[in-house]
Amino acid sequence: MKRLLKIYRMMLSQNIKALMEYRIDFIIGALSFMIDQAVGIGFIFIIFYQIPQLGGFTLDQIVFIYGFSLIPKGLDHMFTDNLWNVGYFIVQKGQFDKYLTRPISPLFHVIAEKFQIDAAGELIMGIVLVCISAGSAGVRFTWYNVLLFIVAVIFASMIYTAIKLGTAALAFRIKVSGQIIQVFYMTNEFAKYPAVIYGNVIKFIITYVVPFAFTGYYPCVYFMTGENPLFNIGGLVVISGLLTFIALIIWQTGLKAYESAGS
Amino acid sequence: MIEVDKLRKEFKKVEKDQGLLGSIKGLLRPKYEIIAAVDNVSFNVPEGEILGFIGPNGAGKSTVIKMLTGILTPTSGKCTINGRDPVADRKKYVKDIGVVFGQRTQLWWDLPLRETYGVLKEIYEVDDEAYKKKMSFLNEVLELDGFITSPVRTLSLGQRMRADIAASLLHSPKVLFLDEPTIGLDVVVKNNIRNAIQEINKTEHTTVILTTHDISDIELLCDRIVMIDKGKKVYDGSLEDMKIKYGVMREICFVPENSESFSDKSFKAGLDLSGEDLTIEKEHGKYRIRFNSDKISTKDMLSYTLANTEAKDISVGDADIEEIIRRLYKSGIK
Amino acid sequence: MGRVLRLYFPFTRASIQSSLMYSLNMIFFSLSELLYCFVMYYLWKAVFESSGGSDFMGFDMQDMVLYLFITNVTAYLTMSDADNTIADEIKDGSISMRLLKPVSFSMSVLFKDIAGPIVMFCMVFVPMTACVEIYRAVTVGAVMFNIVNFALYLVSAVMAYLISFFMNMCFGFLAFYTTNLWGMGMFKKIVLKFLSGAVIPLAFLPDLLRNILSFLPFASLSYIPVMIYMGKYSTSELVFNMCLQLAWVAVLALLSRLVWKSAIKKLSVQGG
Repeated sequence: MKRLLKIYRMMLSQNIKALMEYRIDFIIGALSFMIDQAVGIGFIFIIFYQIPQLGGFTLDQIVFIYGFSLIPKGLDHMFTDNLWNVGYFIVQKGQFDKYLTRPISPLFHVIAEKFQIDAAGELIMGIVLVCISAGSAGVRFTWYNVLLFIVAVIFASMIYTAIKLGTAALAFRIKVSGQIIQVFYMTNEFAKYPAVIYGNVIKFIITYVVPFAFTGYYPCVYFMTGENPLFNIGGLVVISGLLTFIALIIWQTGLKAYESAGS
Repeated sequence: MIEVDKLRKEFKKVEKDQGLLGSIKGLLRPKYEIIAAVDNVSFNVPEGEILGFIGPNGAGKSTVIKMLTGILTPTSGKCTINGRDPVADRKKYVKDIGVVFGQRTQLWWDLPLRETYGVLKEIYEVDDEAYKKKMSFLNEVLELDGFITSPVRTLSLGQRMRADIAASLLHSPKVLFLDEPTIGLDVVVKNNIRNAIQEINKTEHTTVILTTHDISDIELLCDRIVMIDKGKKVYDGSLEDMKIKYGVMREICFVPENSESFSDKSFKAGLDLSGEDLTIEKEHGKYRIRFNSDKISTKDMLSYTLANTEAKDISVGDADIEEIIRRLYKSGIK
Repeated sequence: MGRVLRLYFPFTRASIQSSLMYSLNMIFFSLSELLYCFVMYYLWKAVFESSGGSDFMGFDMQDMVLYLFITNVTAYLTMSDADNTIADEIKDGSISMRLLKPVSFSMSVLFKDIAGPIVMFCMVFVPMTACVEIYRAVTVGAVMFNIVNFALYLVSAVMAYLISFFMNMCFGFLAFYTTNLWGMGMFKKIVLKFLSGAVIPLAFLPDLLRNILSFLPFASLSYIPVMIYMGKYSTSELVFNMCLQLAWVAVLALLSRLVWKSAIKKLSVQGG
């Protein structure tokens, strides 16, 4: 375990060193992620210019949910970005073989190899939005709330990672699964807004099937109103753990299929 | 040391028709066919040997190599290194092997070369002493000093290949798999790499399995050859044996006293040989006669040549590996 | 004309064939874009419910749905991969292969690129538009589809595609000057999304911003064709905007030709 940490630290420093080579690109990348989210927020502001509340929530509460959902998204984006590449071209171009000839877990190797620091754009945006809206959104800063906040962020990131992992692993069977990752990942757009505005079918899907609602809406409902911690936070933990477990199985079986069918 | 026993690998291949219509049809109703890319291949490699692994394109060579490196699982049969199985003991197994894919690199693209070696040191758990010694050895043999601080993406093909070989040897593997290591390289670099491989094999007793299309690689490096064609092993033995068994063509080169007076036609007319069995080429005033030594012995050919030409310089050439292999690739082993 | 088509069609056909191979991926691609549409749909539905009235700055709910979905399908018709085609070919040197062929450079890129919109038209545009129109007919109680608007829309969409194509060609040539276009590419995509009215109908923006944006070529990419489809322009506005689009097509075609000339010069100076 200690060895894995040491290897990760080395790869991380390599990534940051490589980053120094592409400084400008990093700034542009981070900036564009921020602008992308800013446009989304701008959209909300324009709407709230005309209406008092949305689905029962005030502007500050909507901003809080939006901002909160960006934090796990940014964290996952930062650390596990290489999974996209597995789905898009690593398997297809035969570059995955190199991971199989090294004496460490291929999954660890693939993920550790890439550190996407311009996801900091999303992270910063999320943190800023959360900070400016939390007070007016009704959030109480007790010590256990802070703890639960950290727990929620961690498990919410795991949901993102698990979904990317499971869909990326499909590349082992069908060569390219990048688009599939994209579809599943895109459903996170729903997570930025209160789940109540969606019809029942969609609400069900984003709660139990592709549970992005747990990466934004549900935990925020708890933080803003103190209601139902068992479902809002507990549910998050349980579903996140389950999803991660399933994703790991899909990866393992996919790997076996890859070793049997070749590239 | 390396044991390959009745190895077999089957693939499902999708059949596609040509053209736009064919592609659409292939979508709606795909047709499959089972192909044996590797069929009942067995061979052993003792420690310290340099084995040449050859065969026409698509013969199944890389498939065998992939199974030996743990990237592919066999349909049936087994392959082991020192008794270890690549699939069952993967992590332990790969510590004993080094792999160089000619076309794809294992190095970190954006970073200086030195960084890659640093990370590999950790991944393979090479201790500091051994690392220092190995790096200086590899540096000497492969001459990495000149570009060890350059980002990998700026390296020329020759430099990258040397770097990749060094990367594969950092952890002192028992077996080195080289897949087309000299492809696309100039003569000087090729020579350096061959020397490096020999040096490594001599000092570390590393077993080397070399897949190549380059005849000089085979002649200069390999102790033994295994040839694969259409998934089956068709030859297993030394280079010498191959020449003796399959080498029928010989060469006589000479420079005539008077090049005006030499005529191919009359030369050929005196012998009852045609087509492939007797060819004469002229190159810079030198004549090269290639003849089938099954049809006419070297002794007889030599006497005939001496009798019918005023030769200033004359030499007799050995069986030509390139020609043997070319013939075997084309028509298979009879 | 026939000769031109025969000459360039192989580029299109090869491109279509290779995209069919990854057809599953294409379906998923459109699905993921569609998802975004649905999120906006629900968002707007909630907005309309909260606002009490049936009207939000001149659009009613029907309009909004139409706007969202037609904007979405228009994006498919006008998407151009020319920048990646060119940038990739510059990076791996295969651009020299294209230059060696006895055909016009930009035409060959155009015919390869147009395969995307063509396939999208058949596989995505037609079914989706049909669905939207059926939805409209069902909720309103009468068939709202207007063939004249549709025809004009198609003309406008073609111009929008050409604008997108030439823009992307220019952008692709940037690869001659910088090694890594990824950051810029992201930036371009995101900014374009906003400026073309895909996120917020330009009509909702403050006057000054709206006026500036309507003149830039970005509005011609999406906003103008969609408004034509919805029949929201008066005749004079219609004529004006379509002429504006035409002007932009001409300007950008010229620009890309200039960029190309200078890029070629750089190429021959630098070598392959």
